[in-house]
Amino acid sequence: MAIKNYDELSSLELDTLREIGSMGTGNAATALSQMLGREVRITLPEVRIMGYNEAIEWIGGPEEITAGVLVKMGGQINGIMLSCQQLDFVNMVLESVLHQRIDDYGQLADMENSCLIEVGNIMISTFINALSGLAGMDVTLTVPAFTVDMQGAILAVPMAEYGGQSDYIMTIGGNFVFDNQEVPCRLLMSPDLRSLNALLRKLGVSDE
Amino acid sequence: MSDKLVIGIADMKVAKGEGMLVTYALGSCIGICLHDPAIKLGALVHIMLPVNMEAGRKNPMKYADTGIRETLKQMEAMGARRARITAKIAGGAKMFEVGSSSLGNIGQRNIESVHMNLKKEGIRLLKEDVGGSVARTLLFDVNSGLGCVRSYGRAELII
Repeated sequence: MAIKNYDELSSLELDTLREIGSMGTGNAATALSQMLGREVRITLPEVRIMGYNEAIEWIGGPEEITAGVLVKMGGQINGIMLSCQQLDFVNMVLESVLHQRIDDYGQLADMENSCLIEVGNIMISTFINALSGLAGMDVTLTVPAFTVDMQGAILAVPMAEYGGQSDYIMTIGGNFVFDNQEVPCRLLMSPDLRSLNALLRKLGVSDE
Repeated sequence: MSDKLVIGIADMKVAKGEGMLVTYALGSCIGICLHDPAIKLGALVHIMLPVNMEAGRKNPMKYADTGIRETLKQMEAMGARRARITAKIAGGAKMFEVGSSSLGNIGQRNIESVHMNLKKEGIRLLKEDVGGSVARTLLFDVNSGLGCVRSYGRAELII
């Protein structure tokens, strides 16, 4: 049966979404590994359904500054993909690609920004390619948008976009491990409810 | 300021006499400070969307229209007078520039809706810091009626 709110998902449906998260982030990690030329693995992916304020605490508090890459999905799945890159992750990327580190987001210039956008975009695209291949659904992606600001406001973007449908936000994502060091990389997929229902039907876990 | 009250998303709190109300990281959301200076009663609402279109929603504070209306009702129940209440707002930014899609217009629509609803309720808007592309943390001192907006990479602003 089609769900009307995220908290109505059954455990089978949640397992399926966790599997999608696992496959998507796994592909993203492989792409990242090739791009950076170092070993990148993923930790156990999570599917979370949270209230707005709970989600902001989960990501590490509202005022923490973070770099965000956002891509909008269209076609047969509507939704938002977000890559929230905290400082440890940013440095891991910048060290590998540009051989430099930053202490503060204020030090990011055009070159560093485009590097982070590209990394975010590649992770998001591989995630979605894997998903769209598995489900046999066509998904289009917008050009990535980028900002460096308080993560509470960044996370509020998918919330506001689907806020008229639900009091909850669903996120699928995981953390990355670089050379045995765990770095939080929040790769988040927030589909709208209609697309989520369509996806679960396509995958055969939701009966008509 | 030991008595700092934190307002979450789609949330509202009221304080009387003394107190600091704070809401963090307003992106496209808007923080609305409502103040009755005569009795030093202040409220801060953190709304997320412009119009409440769902029947029987349990959370009026999520929307500009029902959020403002419900907050005024609660302030009046605590002795505030409509004619004395003034407003200050912050937020309504566009966090991401995404092509031609409707995404990102929510901030602008929120600003318009807050303006319209304040006017409809007869509340004077004293000051605002809205739009742009920065996230804002809004602090509101109930005693003085002053608001303070904190942003990343920008000086603090008193409203």
